[in-house]
Amino acid sequence: MTTDTTFLDLASATDLVLEISPAQRDRAWQQSQSFSHPSSRWRAYLNQLGLSAVLTWLQEDYNPQAAAGQTPAGLRSSWEVTNGTVVTMDGMKLVLVPSEAIDFSELRVPQEWVDLPKLAPDYYLGVQVEPDEGWVRVWGYCTHLQLKSRGSYDPSDRAYCLDETDVIKDINVLWVSRQLCPEEPTKAGIDPLPTLSLDRAENLLQRLGNPAVLNPRLAVPFPLWGALFEHGGWRQHLYNLRLGKSDLWSIRQWLQAGVSEVAVQLGWGKLEFQPSAVGAKGSESATASAILTRQLTIAGKAYELRVIPHEQLAGVWRFELQTALMGDRIPGGFKLRLLTEDLQPFENNEDVATKAVERLFIEVAIEPGEGLVWEIEPLPENYDTEILRF
Amino acid sequence: MRPRQTIIEIFSTFLQFESDRFSGWITDPKLRRSMQNRLNSQPQPETSENFWAIYWYKVWQSQPDSAARAHLMAYLQEPCYWVASKTAASFASSQYNTSDCFQLAIAQIDKVLKGFIPDRGSVLKNYASVIFSSLMREILRQQRVVDVCTPWALLRRISHKMLLESLKAAGLSANAIAAYILAWNCFKTVYVPTAPTGTRKLDSPDLTAWKAIASLYNTERYSQLNPPGNEIQPEIVEKWLLGCEKAVRKYLYPAQTSINAPMPGQETGEMVDNLADPEQVSLLSKSIELEEEQKRQSQQLQIQGVLMAAIAKMEPTAQEMLQMYYAQGRSQQEIAVELQIKQYTVSRRLTKAKESLLLTLAQWSKDTLHISLNSQVIKDSTTLLEEWLKTHYSPSRN
Repeated sequence: MTTDTTFLDLASATDLVLEISPAQRDRAWQQSQSFSHPSSRWRAYLNQLGLSAVLTWLQEDYNPQAAAGQTPAGLRSSWEVTNGTVVTMDGMKLVLVPSEAIDFSELRVPQEWVDLPKLAPDYYLGVQVEPDEGWVRVWGYCTHLQLKSRGSYDPSDRAYCLDETDVIKDINVLWVSRQLCPEEPTKAGIDPLPTLSLDRAENLLQRLGNPAVLNPRLAVPFPLWGALFEHGGWRQHLYNLRLGKSDLWSIRQWLQAGVSEVAVQLGWGKLEFQPSAVGAKGSESATASAILTRQLTIAGKAYELRVIPHEQLAGVWRFELQTALMGDRIPGGFKLRLLTEDLQPFENNEDVATKAVERLFIEVAIEPGEGLVWEIEPLPENYDTEILRF
Repeated sequence: MRPRQTIIEIFSTFLQFESDRFSGWITDPKLRRSMQNRLNSQPQPETSENFWAIYWYKVWQSQPDSAARAHLMAYLQEPCYWVASKTAASFASSQYNTSDCFQLAIAQIDKVLKGFIPDRGSVLKNYASVIFSSLMREILRQQRVVDVCTPWALLRRISHKMLLESLKAAGLSANAIAAYILAWNCFKTVYVPTAPTGTRKLDSPDLTAWKAIASLYNTERYSQLNPPGNEIQPEIVEKWLLGCEKAVRKYLYPAQTSINAPMPGQETGEMVDNLADPEQVSLLSKSIELEEEQKRQSQQLQIQGVLMAAIAKMEPTAQEMLQMYYAQGRSQQEIAVELQIKQYTVSRRLTKAKESLLLTLAQWSKDTLHISLNSQVIKDSTTLLEEWLKTHYSPSRN
């Protein structure tokens, strides 16, 4: 820590100052190296510092279950192009908005966290990050509704800005209002964006995947950009393109050479069966020698999604959802659904548990090179759209 | 400092400094006449300063452009002075002395008036102390960073809005401001720190960086500026950004003479005489005032009761921290040293302790005053709580 501490001896009782330990700082710096440009690297670093300080505080003082709302890969794909970090706690969603600014004249939130139905949170937290001195200050918050109704929109950087007089400076107001007036609405209505066709999306990805485009979020009209950004699979693809990485979501490659590291971090894995074990499983379930699995948590319980190639019919795949615990059942109301890459439904793309069942499954025929998206209701924790490439 | 004696003085005089010391009270003749007229209109002139504070506050609410603001500014000279001298003394290393702190804070009087909620037992003078104190700390805090930042570091450390306000204050045209802001955005995109610390010592961009900034500007201007304006060279971007930096420093630390506070002795213009008369009668009604005063006192007592009970239920360390912070006026850092814990722990525990008090206060408002709660009402309670803590623990009470 430097000696010219400017903040700490001036802190008032109302200031919430959180520590960034040297170890946290080093880790944040290491974790923010895989980006296309120094500016996205720096943005990732600030977001990472804010996230680690705020999470430690929330977990220790409020709820040990508080967590980042995205997987590490999901976070990277967002930070590559925009500012802001989702945190979830007690069923609410918060977006941390880090800033290096020394003044608190406004809370400036990128449009991606405001106008996209899948991403909009209940609250925004203004987080001042001071890397030199190793601290973070939570300086104020507002709800989605307040930002939309009282904030102004700045087209120059596509952000909603709330004047400091409308920002609630004392974070305790958030906790107390959730206890005493939980019925107070936090969210304004959001109209979904028009869907983006696959052609259009591929076109955009080619154009914006070029790292020489420094601000992809401002390079095309927001409805196009927003639809691309909201789709976790496309966002991930954009990140890969900008970093010159090849597609890491190839199912065939996973089966042959092993699951890519990004996917392993998300809970994907490969399961190989001995021939004898295959026989014992009987003919009802697929009898391939290797299948893919993805670990999931839904409403606090562990589940497993399996992707199984058909033994005889090339190009036919089976998706299965089951609980991780042997003999346990999937509760009624669960849905397993497959969609095309541009999120369109197709015939027989869904299996619904009308009562508690052992497993849900769908069989599909897929062309080589085609992409599929899986969805489950209720939403698994940290769910972000993934495109599986066949 | 010599306290003011009469009601007329309290609402019509301004503090004067001489080499950073209090040197006397200067009368504003128009405010004095205005105050004299109000007193003369009463059969038995009211002598409670609280009465007049509420009176002028209510006039200010219905007529914000009237002389009421100046009367309240005169009234709030004392709390502002005490906070300024305390703040300047605690942070001796600062360039700012008492009179600087005083000037900076009193200029923010509109924030005090807009934030004040007269019901639920709040007292304007106490509320103003709380706000002045946090405003001064915030200004000192910013100033310390600004003083050690290189121009390039500073440009990265200000908000969009702050830059916009600075450029407006510098008198630039709307088109010029848009161009400067675009240049600033391009600078921030291209030129970022490349090490995890040392952000305040950021060096000047080299020629390659300037070229990249100019080139980004020249591309973006077509979509961002209307009209897009001329293509610019790296030297021009550099010149613009230094202009931005200068505007920001000037905006953050205006020369003392330009501070928008009425100068002592200066007439406050034609506002004084344009007060609507019918307002006075009802506002001055003695019975209403008495009733309000009684209501306020009873609410203060109730708040006192519930909050003291809540504090008594807290853990001893939490009570101790509140005592140290509010009664002994120690900083978070000093408390940390005393209790041999980290300052971050002090900050978090104080926040937690105040959460339970805020919950108590909000619950009381709901149950007793039948106020339907929302986050705005709870937000208003935070300053009320802060005001109460400062008054409750203040040494003069014990």
